[in-house]
Amino acid sequence: MAPPVSATKSPSPSQPSGKSEVSDLKLQLRQLAGSRAPGADDAKRDLFKRVISCMTVGIDVSPAFSEMVMCSATSDVVLKKMCYLYVGNYARCNPDLALLTINFLQKDCHDQDPTIRGLALRSLCSLRVQNLVEYLVAPLVVGLKDHSSYVRTVAAIGVLKLYHISATTCHDSDFPAALKALMLSDPDAQVVANCLYSLLEIWTQEAGHSEEAAREIETLYGKPIIYYFLNRIRDFSEWAQCLLLDLVSKYIPADNNEIFDMMNLLEDRLQHANGAVVLATIKVFLHLTMSMTDVHQQVVYERIKAPLLTLVGAGSPEQSYAVLCHLHILVMRAPMLFSSDYKHFYCQFSDPSYVKKLKLEMLTAIANESNTYEIVTELCEYAGNVDVPIARESIRAVGKIALQQYDVNAIVDRLLQFLEMEKDYVTAETLVLVKDLLRKYPQWSHDCIAVVGNISSNSIQEPEAKAALIWMLGEYSQDMMDAPYVLESLVENWEEEHSPEVRLHLLTAVMKCFFKRAPETQKALGAALAAGLADSHQDVHDRALFYYRLLQYDVAVAERVVNPPKQAVSVFADTQSSEIKDRIFDEFNSLSIVYQKPSYMFTDKEHRGPFEFAEDLSNLAIGGDSGDDAIRSAQRYQENDKDLLLSTSDKEENGGPTRNGSNSSTYSAPSDINSSLSALAPSSTSHTVAFAIDDLLGLGVPDAPILPLPPALSLNSKPVLDPGTFQKKWGQLTVSSSQESTLSIQGVASLTAPQSLIRHMQNNSIQCIASGGHPPNYKFFFFAQKEGSSSFFLVECIVNTASAKAQIKIKSDDASASDAFASIFQSALSNFGSL
Amino acid sequence: MLQCIFLLSESGEVMVEKQMTGHRVDRSICTWFWDHLLSLSLSQSQSQPEGGHIAQISQVLTSPTHYLFQLYRHGIIFLACTQLELPPLMPIEFLSRVADILSDYLGGLNEDIIKDNFVIVYQILDEMMDNGFPLTTEPNVLKEMVTPPNIVSKVFTAVTGKASPTVGPTLPEAAASCVPWRTTHPKNTTNEVYVNLVEHLHACVNREGNLRRCEVYGEIQVNSSLPGFPDLTLSFANPSLLNDVRFHPCVRFRPWELSQFLSFVPPDGNFKLMSYRVKGLKKIPIYVKPQLTSDSGNCRISALVGVKNDPGKTIDSIMVQFQLPPGITSADLTSNHGTVDILADKTCRWSIGQIPKDKLPCLSGNLVLEPGMERLHVAPIFQVKFKIMGVALSGLQIDKLEVKTPAANPYKGFRAQTQAGDYEFRS
Repeated sequence: MAPPVSATKSPSPSQPSGKSEVSDLKLQLRQLAGSRAPGADDAKRDLFKRVISCMTVGIDVSPAFSEMVMCSATSDVVLKKMCYLYVGNYARCNPDLALLTINFLQKDCHDQDPTIRGLALRSLCSLRVQNLVEYLVAPLVVGLKDHSSYVRTVAAIGVLKLYHISATTCHDSDFPAALKALMLSDPDAQVVANCLYSLLEIWTQEAGHSEEAAREIETLYGKPIIYYFLNRIRDFSEWAQCLLLDLVSKYIPADNNEIFDMMNLLEDRLQHANGAVVLATIKVFLHLTMSMTDVHQQVVYERIKAPLLTLVGAGSPEQSYAVLCHLHILVMRAPMLFSSDYKHFYCQFSDPSYVKKLKLEMLTAIANESNTYEIVTELCEYAGNVDVPIARESIRAVGKIALQQYDVNAIVDRLLQFLEMEKDYVTAETLVLVKDLLRKYPQWSHDCIAVVGNISSNSIQEPEAKAALIWMLGEYSQDMMDAPYVLESLVENWEEEHSPEVRLHLLTAVMKCFFKRAPETQKALGAALAAGLADSHQDVHDRALFYYRLLQYDVAVAERVVNPPKQAVSVFADTQSSEIKDRIFDEFNSLSIVYQKPSYMFTDKEHRGPFEFAEDLSNLAIGGDSGDDAIRSAQRYQENDKDLLLSTSDKEENGGPTRNGSNSSTYSAPSDINSSLSALAPSSTSHTVAFAIDDLLGLGVPDAPILPLPPALSLNSKPVLDPGTFQKKWGQLTVSSSQESTLSIQGVASLTAPQSLIRHMQNNSIQCIASGGHPPNYKFFFFAQKEGSSSFFLVECIVNTASAKAQIKIKSDDASASDAFASIFQSALSNFGSL
Repeated sequence: MLQCIFLLSESGEVMVEKQMTGHRVDRSICTWFWDHLLSLSLSQSQSQPEGGHIAQISQVLTSPTHYLFQLYRHGIIFLACTQLELPPLMPIEFLSRVADILSDYLGGLNEDIIKDNFVIVYQILDEMMDNGFPLTTEPNVLKEMVTPPNIVSKVFTAVTGKASPTVGPTLPEAAASCVPWRTTHPKNTTNEVYVNLVEHLHACVNREGNLRRCEVYGEIQVNSSLPGFPDLTLSFANPSLLNDVRFHPCVRFRPWELSQFLSFVPPDGNFKLMSYRVKGLKKIPIYVKPQLTSDSGNCRISALVGVKNDPGKTIDSIMVQFQLPPGITSADLTSNHGTVDILADKTCRWSIGQIPKDKLPCLSGNLVLEPGMERLHVAPIFQVKFKIMGVALSGLQIDKLEVKTPAANPYKGFRAQTQAGDYEFRS
């Protein structure tokens, strides 16, 4: 390499000398262009280096294009390379001038030296100028037949570049066929790999609209080709192996023997030095054994465990994170199998926070009877960690483990010890957890309340923690001596409480406390309701008004609504639905795992193509929709779960005895509060409004149950049907019922987008698989499944919002039930918008 | 596949930009990346070590237009952009390969080296990746395509005033050879081979002094300089010790599976033959006994370091370091052996070197807490570094190395060493 001449030092970006430098370079280049003097090449080199360093720094040196091209006639390889780099960078903005370079590039394509030939061909294809396409074809044809494998590898990728510039030229010259022939016959593995890479990209891009391409893709996934590759897999470079393994993962073997043969063949790939190969192999294993549950879980997981754990520890932090994400999803699927490896997931001091976070999640998942003690001990050590977010996470993890396990004795003690650490964030996190714990294990209330009662509400700042504390104050006010007074002081500071969430909880807690200890709370309740009515936040205001009127209507009813006996929560809703998890799992060894989201949620549609199954391609939009809805529905289940807490009226457990002592005082309260409250807000009450509220209540609380379901037919609330099967079924079945139905006016009004109807129908256990259209016409495909049987109902529904009519076609596996289903569907449809 | 690769300096300056596909990635993406980085490092605790904030951000990022993979090595950020779904390890492995090869080529990596040699960097990137798909990544083959800037060529230039060609005159023969990692006619062979066992000991001892975790991650590095087409066989005295292994592509799998020895045709030069993991170890060579007692705004700290389970060789370059917890106004630390430094990022580093025969090194001192704080809430974690030459603590032993080569009696050298990896003591 030439010694760094002072001029080649790249100028710092802070002082882009810009124009003068460029024109200076131009001038010097022009002087050198024709020169054949002995030192000319060296001088050119220095100039080229300056040009390229300018380019790198971001100065536009495209004005020197023609001078650069004039200087490019040289035999010096480094000069050539620099020139190619320059030309490749600026050809697109100067298509006319780029023509000048074609000549010398084409000449270089016939050079004696294969390196130069390859280099020239690569640069030629990288120009990417539309009107130069004609000059590409001939060198590519020659390149594909070159006797040097290096040139052939370049040419194979060159075809792909050509395809992206002009797909028609690529097809007209029959390049895909040539690539395929080369792929199946070339002795050099890298050439074969590059052919495969190009073909895959070309055909997948076309599979959507060309049957031929789709067929070609099919043959790629077919047995002969897969075996052709599998048998030579060791000859390929590590990157090509990744590509091949990805291809193999899409192959479906005929029987179990074949599966075992393939796995035996690929087993040694698990010990490859390159982590990408190892992961790709693991993906193949998982896909191959997807249908064999027991083998899948046991043998394969056992086999892939060790390499994954090694990869996590041995690689750079970057690699180890990506591997951890994959390990994470496996652990979440089969925590049992990893329960003895918990020590691998202990956090190291030097781990970055995001790695620690993943590890904590895994520790939480694999905790079981045998290792809980060890894991919780470890987690408790993190709670005193310097890293505050991780300390929080680990407290949360302890809580989650407590919610998973039956033997929570020791864990509750640990949590209560956290409260004694007197660190703000530890206390805050712990309070939230103790609240959840109490919802699940009400029997622990005495121990917890004793400790919680000692916490000063002033020391807690975080809204969530404060809300949790207030909830406990309200819920267990009979056990906490000073609960009413603490609440009262909180109410006094109403103005200073910024979080509406906390204010809402405060309202409810004061109400609950009032039902239990009326005389002591009465004053606080009055103040809270008054403050709530004056609150600027709409929700707080509404809730205060609602409580107020409820109390006015009947205190006993109010108690039933606000403070019904609680049922212990058995399972807390998961944040991700299992459907989403399965989908992510299907996309093993892809970015989806790192993002913990299926790919359709983050990749642009246009870029999704090459990595999708051919048959998936036509269903992309559908997949997207249903996936989105799945998340929404998951969220909704969670909400429902919360509602359940507030509205269940089962008389169980701790319901009865609480009111014993204070009965009389409770019943003396109404007149009292009425008078005091009406004094507070005299004009705002009127009977009609109160009735309207009652009406709203009647309609608003129950949603699904009021449907006139015929007892004979109930629907599975979470049916699963993939778009492919839907299409097949739709083709096979005949129409069993065809009707026309009318939508309510509210329904039409709320049908501004298909999603609103889809959501509504989901509430009625009817799932949407595809939808489309623009106002006023929408078309939906729905499906539903009969509870406890495998028969599906498929519906095509065309809605015209202008005429408020819907045309329904129903097909069913079970024709006898289709009338019953039709009436469910119709009533659901006519209900739409009326909520 | 990857659409673009950027090399950024630690101050966010774009040093190299290499577009891979027809889809041009605007370099404004780097600005976005940098802003993201800054906003992150601002929001996180400031007590990160130099460059630490870069290591703290996730390897895969979503920018408004692209997915970014980043890798941080020696003050250089390697940034790859893509819009496609792809196996995440592929770009990460590829970038780390690029980093390895560049540092091998240029004899190290830092901002100045990259800036001085950007032409070589472009040439290497060009050969390593075509249209976003990795092409040639074997260092041996690359070296024949793009000649590394070595002393010889520097001297050559200095003497003749002419630059030596950076490109080999002919195509590398290995590209056509059936063993892609080896050229058929390596030059200048000295007929020797060195095998080096390097182990990293990871251990974690908790507050009560119990060993929570102890593992070894090891590597066998080989430097081979043998003529012709040598066939090597390496066997271990106790292969059953290994929990999991990963091999360089040159290792044949069948012999390993059947009888647990390594049979391979080595590439020329330095390479990593195998990496392995040994878990469930019970012995650690060094212990630290930290003690912290705090009352009324002061915290007494003391730490003892000693040898446990003497490995039989001297333990070198011992260093203990820990992060001073937040909320400390001043620290006064002394030791009876070695030097204690408190670095700018509040890391306390105690360099011990070797443990003297006559006394136990002890660090003691006082930490003054912020006014209002009664006692210390967070306990620091003590990280230990050390090096032991001549011993592989996992107990792995090489039995013998057989070399079949045309030249007689090559020289064979063996070495072993153990270093501390994540070796920490909680207090």
